[in-house]
Amino acid sequence: MRAGEVMRRLVPPASYVLVLFFLTGVWLTMSPFAMQTQSSGQRWTTSTINNVTLGGILMVVSLLGIVVYMGFALRDLMREAQAKQLAEQTARAEAASANS
Amino acid sequence: MSVTRPSLGKYICGMVASLAIFLAGGWLILAPFALGYQSYGADWVSQTTNDFVVGICVAVVALIAFALFFFSLLGSLRAAGVIAARSRSQAVAALAATPSHAAAAPVATSNQSDLDRTLATLAQALAADLSARRQTGGDLQTNPLTEQNITNRRDA
Repeated sequence: MRAGEVMRRLVPPASYVLVLFFLTGVWLTMSPFAMQTQSSGQRWTTSTINNVTLGGILMVVSLLGIVVYMGFALRDLMREAQAKQLAEQTARAEAASANS
Repeated sequence: MSVTRPSLGKYICGMVASLAIFLAGGWLILAPFALGYQSYGADWVSQTTNDFVVGICVAVVALIAFALFFFSLLGSLRAAGVIAARSRSQAVAALAATPSHAAAAPVATSNQSDLDRTLATLAQALAADLSARRQTGGDLQTNPLTEQNITNRRDA
């Protein structure tokens, strides 16, 4: 299997969307400070707490989604490679027994 | 022959993540009004506009991601033959409902495909046996030649 095919299976189009969500989470977390609706050193307002919390949730969930998906995809690739090796070994053994 | 086992965990994980993010987007849209930092009827403050726009984008893209993971799951099930098996069972149920004359042709087609599969397996086994015999014959032909070479060298 080529490296491009492996990468396509490890990182499908939906994973790019999850990366986009991670960046959205980063923006949500920093938006109260970037838009100056929360002055530094002051007690956090309700909107700041809401945005920072939701941004954190978005970052954690999207990162977890990406990592868990890649883990499962990697496990599938390894299983397929093992099955292929096993099939090749069986074919070689059958050919050797047919020759002898 | 290797059997492909579909692993559904990765798709389900992606679908769950997309669904959670969709809910987060929905909450982002509602939050300015639910938490009271945007009063009804007044002009929207910048934080409300930001939350609303980001919330709508997040919800829409999360739905798209959910659909992508769902269709990947369907593709995996189709590759594993689960969806085809289901459609075959539906076809069998449909055949049971139709009259026997109309059902005769699809049943014959199914039997024909089974026969084709069996014949293909038989042909593969015969080809493997034939190639093995050819290899064995080639070895027998080459062995006397090598023995003759050895005796010639000894004579020399």
